[in-house]
Amino acid sequence: MTDVLVNSSAVAPPLRLGRFRLYLRRFARNRAALVGVAILALLVGYATLGALLTPWDWSDQDFLALTQPPTSAHPLGTNQGGNDVLAQTVHGLQRSLVIALSVSVLTLLIAVVVGAGAAYLGGRVERVTLVVIHFLLVVPSFLVLALVSNRVGGDWRVLIVVLTLFGWMFTARVVWSVSTSLRERDYVLAAEFMGVSRWRIVSRHIIPHLGALLIVSFTLGVVTTVLSETSLSFLGFGVKTPDVSLGSLLADGADTINSAPWLFASPAALLVLLTVSMTLIGDGLRDALDPTSSAGGRG
Amino acid sequence: MVRYVLRKATGWLVMVVVATNATYFLASWFLDPRSNYRELRPVRTDEQISHALAPYGLDPQTSVLDRWWHWLTDVFLHFDWGHSPTGVPVNSEVPHRVLISGQLITIGVVASVVIGVALGVYTASRQYGLTDRVTQTLSVVLFNVPTAVSALGLVLFAVWLNQRLGWTFLHVAGATTPGGVDGAWANILDRANHLILPTVNLTLLGYVGWHLTQRTLLLDTINADYVRTARATGLTRAQAIRRHALRASLIPTATSVAFTIPAVLTGAIITETVFGWEGMGRYFIQTIGKNDVHGAVAVAAFGAVITAIGAILADIATVLLDPRVRVS
Repeated sequence: MTDVLVNSSAVAPPLRLGRFRLYLRRFARNRAALVGVAILALLVGYATLGALLTPWDWSDQDFLALTQPPTSAHPLGTNQGGNDVLAQTVHGLQRSLVIALSVSVLTLLIAVVVGAGAAYLGGRVERVTLVVIHFLLVVPSFLVLALVSNRVGGDWRVLIVVLTLFGWMFTARVVWSVSTSLRERDYVLAAEFMGVSRWRIVSRHIIPHLGALLIVSFTLGVVTTVLSETSLSFLGFGVKTPDVSLGSLLADGADTINSAPWLFASPAALLVLLTVSMTLIGDGLRDALDPTSSAGGRG
Repeated sequence: MVRYVLRKATGWLVMVVVATNATYFLASWFLDPRSNYRELRPVRTDEQISHALAPYGLDPQTSVLDRWWHWLTDVFLHFDWGHSPTGVPVNSEVPHRVLISGQLITIGVVASVVIGVALGVYTASRQYGLTDRVTQTLSVVLFNVPTAVSALGLVLFAVWLNQRLGWTFLHVAGATTPGGVDGAWANILDRANHLILPTVNLTLLGYVGWHLTQRTLLLDTINADYVRTARATGLTRAQAIRRHALRASLIPTATSVAFTIPAVLTGAIITETVFGWEGMGRYFIQTIGKNDVHGAVAVAAFGAVITAIGAILADIATVLLDPRVRVS
C-alpha cells in the first residue's frame, strides 16, 4: 500500500521530492524551528558532555567553597553544601531529559492504543473509555500524582511510571477524535470488506495515518512532562536528595533566592530553554507534516 | 435549557463524589499514619500506635472498607471530615484556607479568561500585525515557563523594585501582614496588596492558553461562509466578527474551561508555596508530609468541587452561546 502511495504522489508534483525530503525542506524553512533544534542540540550536548567542563562530580562537596557566587573554579557557583552548580545542573538536566523523553514515549504508546482502539471498536467500549478519559482529565490528578510519588520516594524510574500513568489522557482524547474521522475513510472500509481483523486495521491502517499528530504530540508531551516533573520535584514529591533534577535544583534555589540568586538562575534558564526549544520544534514539525501545506513544494 | 444544565450538574456531582472517594482509598493506601508515631520517644509498640489512631478512624488494623464507611457517614451526616493522625480536626483547618485559595483561584481564572480571550480576539482580527506577532511570541515563551520559575522571577523582581523604591510596595510573603494593620480600609488594601503578585503569577501562566486557542478558533471561523454572508448584509467587518464569528468561536472556549482548572489548581499549589500563603495548596503538602489521610482527601474534594463549579459555569455559558443546545 505504501508503494502505491509513494508512486502516485511522486508522479503528480512537478518536482520529484521524497516524502521525508519534503518534510525536511519545509522544516528547514522555518527559522524558529531551526533555532529550537539548535538550542536542543546545545542542551543535549551540555547534558552529555557538560561533565567535562568541571573537575567536580555532581555529588562532590567542596567544603572550602560553600554558597559561593560564580568563580573560575566553579563557573556557576556552589550551593550551601558546596556542590558545584555546573555539575549539578548537568546531572539534573540529564535526569529531566531522560524522564521527559521516556514518559513522552510511554504516554504516546498508551494514548495511541487507547484512543485509536476506542475510536475503531466503537459502541460500548468507546463510551466507557471516553467517560474514563474525561473523568481522569478533570480529576485534579496532580494531587494523586503527589500522593503516589511521595510514597515511592524519589526514585526517578518510579517517577517515570507514575507520570506515565497520569499523563496519557489528553493525547488519548486527541487521538480518539482524529481516529473517529479516519475510521470512515474508504481504505478502512475497504480493509473491513476484505475481512482484515479489527486490531490489524487499527495497527496497520489507522495508527500510521496519525503519524503527524503523534510526532507533534510527542514534542508537546516532552514539554508537559518537564513542567510536571519540575512541579513535583519543586514541591519535594518527585526526585529527592541525594538525587537531583532541574526541579529539585529549583527548589534549592528558591530558599535562597535573595541571598544566592545564582542557585535559581541556572536551573531556571535551562528549564525554559528546554521547553521553549521543544515547543518551537513541535510547531515546526506541525507545519512541516501538515498534509494540506503547500510550502516547500516548489523551488 | 434548565434541564440540560441540571443533567450536566448531576454528572459533575457524581464526579465529585467518585473522585473524593477514590482519593480516600488511594490516600489510605499510600499514606501510613503509623509512621508519625514511630519516631516518638519512648518507643511505642504497634498495639499502642493502633490504639492511638483508632479513635480517628486511621488504625490500619481495621479493614479499609470499615474505615471508609465510618468516614463517609461522618461526612454525609455531620459534615465531619475527620481528624489528622495527631487529632487535629480537618474542619478546623479547612474553612479559612478554602477562602484564601478560592479567592486566588477565582481571580486567577477570571482574569486569565478575560485577558486571554480578549487578546485572542484582538490579535485574530488583526492577524500578522505587529501586536499579533509580539503577543504571539510572548505567549509561546510564557507557555513554557514553569510556574515555579515565574513565581520566583516575580519575587526577584518585587524585591528589586522594593529596594529601588526604598519602601515595601509589593509584598512577597503571606496573604496579610503578620499581626494585621489598623483600620478596616487599611486591612482591605493590605490584603489586596498581598494578592497582587500571586494573582499576577497565576494569570500570566493562565492567560496564554486562552490567548492561543481563542486566536486559532476565531481565525477558523472568521472566514466561514456565514460571516461573509453577514458582511454582505451590510455589517462592517468589526460588527460581523463581533456578532457572528466571535459567538461561534467562544463555544469551544467555554467548554474547555473545565479541563483547565486542574492545571490552575497545580499552579495555585506552587504559587502558594512560593508566596507563603496558608491556603489549600500548602495544606495539601503538609498533609502528605504528615500522613494525614483525611486532610489530603479534603483537599482533593476541594479540587473536585472547584473543577465542578467551573465546569457548571462553563455549561451555562455554552447554553447561552449555543442555540443548538438550547433548542434540543
